Amino acid sequence: MGSLKGKVAIVGIGEVPTGRFPDKPAIYHAVESAKRAIRDSGVDKDEIDFVMPTAAMFSFSYVGELTTGRVAEELGLKNCKKNCLIFSGGSSGSTGLQMAAGMIASGTAKTVLFVHSDKLGTGLTAQGGIDLFSVSGISPEWEVPYGQHYSTVASLSTTRYKYETGCTDEHFAAVCVSNRKWAELNPNAFFRKPLTIEEVMASKMLSTPLRAKMSNMLFDGGSAFIVTSAERAKDLPNKPVYILGEGGVVTHHVFSQEPDISRYGWARAGKEAFEEAGITPADIDVAEIYDSYPIYQVIAFEEIGLCKRGEAGEMFLRGDTWPGGRIPCTTNGGMLSQGHTGAGGGVAIMVEAARQLMGKAGERQVEGARFAVKTGTGGTYMDAQVTVFGTEIP
Amino acid sequence: MEIPEKPSPEVNPWAKPFWDAAKEEKLMLQKCTDCEHHIFYPRIACPHCFSDNVEWVEASGSGTLFSYTIVENNAPSAFMKDMPFVVALVRLDEGVQMLSNIVDCDFSELRCDMPVQVTFEKLNEDFTLPKFRPVRK
Repeated sequence: MGSLKGKVAIVGIGEVPTGRFPDKPAIYHAVESAKRAIRDSGVDKDEIDFVMPTAAMFSFSYVGELTTGRVAEELGLKNCKKNCLIFSGGSSGSTGLQMAAGMIASGTAKTVLFVHSDKLGTGLTAQGGIDLFSVSGISPEWEVPYGQHYSTVASLSTTRYKYETGCTDEHFAAVCVSNRKWAELNPNAFFRKPLTIEEVMASKMLSTPLRAKMSNMLFDGGSAFIVTSAERAKDLPNKPVYILGEGGVVTHHVFSQEPDISRYGWARAGKEAFEEAGITPADIDVAEIYDSYPIYQVIAFEEIGLCKRGEAGEMFLRGDTWPGGRIPCTTNGGMLSQGHTGAGGGVAIMVEAARQLMGKAGERQVEGARFAVKTGTGGTYMDAQVTVFGTEIP
Repeated sequence: MEIPEKPSPEVNPWAKPFWDAAKEEKLMLQKCTDCEHHIFYPRIACPHCFSDNVEWVEASGSGTLFSYTIVENNAPSAFMKDMPFVVALVRLDEGVQMLSNIVDCDFSELRCDMPVQVTFEKLNEDFTLPKFRPVRK
């Protein structure tokens, strides 16, 4: 099997702020993000031959528009050969990048636009959001009748993880604080005021031990990236962000079928990605770890090898993952602080990984970042997707 | 706000024996006659060895509480009136894992890996749901 290592690069990124924008239709977030990504990349829009929108969750009819070429048409792409929706929930950015990379490496596509947009903040009521996330990706036969929803999914993992490792609720609160420190420096994040452990621990209990401030909130937003060959990337203005390695595993659909709810498939996916990349977790300068809830950031961080099991909580607590820390983590603030935009949380950290390696992260730039790792997962954490990036090919 | 009715399971045809048995307060599992694994949830073919030779057997109803959470706020609409309630992942002695609720319990007694036993709660005229309660000595 051929490796994609070093053959393909992200060359442009675009993003709009995450928030509540009742007057902006979802397509604005898609087209504006895509426009920014194209301009950032330096490619001519008519070089784009494949458009990959990912699905929005607030509206089926909007997904229909994305499926049938609206983004390509709004942008006036004259040489678009394929428009195809790529969707695996929160891992869509990872799976989409992998598919784009495979097509580019094989010559099937030359320049791919991946774009996300959603309107979960103003396209649904608050209870509508809770109800959507109590059925979407949750088995209507085996779990919906028991009141399963995403807070309980995260809490079941948290309870078991605490039992096995001895970590405390303060460790999970520390993840929220760490992500917030980054969001304070991110103009596209929704939550930018400083946050303390005490505030997290004083917030309303949702499902034990998960509290309101340990839970993401739903917003509108969009982001996009442009992928092309490493060869083409050399002539473009941004520092190319090469795909060095990739690993993935799908472990369940129905949550009860997950063999290990306090580990998931991260260890295997991480091993594959680092082996292909030819670097180790110790070489990573910035870790863009999918959050949605603190437990998932902790588990993925540990399982892909950034530290040993049971140690991540202390690292988040003492600042190793904060700005200026030893291993900066989820540097846009993640879904916990930038905000949850459906599949967009995983796309936003993909864009952030590229932004950091391009050296364009402004106040939150990790100085001299050469290697980044990015994780993504969809549904009730049905898969574990790991991508390793670099500005050089080791 | 108006509280919708509790959702009934959307039954797949090959899982019907499970739900028919639950109505009779029996917990049934599939078992592969080739590789002898128990199977939950019911499948068209054995997910372990891919055999078509699966039969229905009655489960012991005993297991352990692998993990749990007490829902105190922000439940799905149909479950608003039930709060607080327990969502749990149970490992049956037959080696399969299922999601359920823990009922008939003092929340403070819940611990991971504690023994639990199946019990049945009628949802409506059509469905009875297998649930679990702590085993008392």
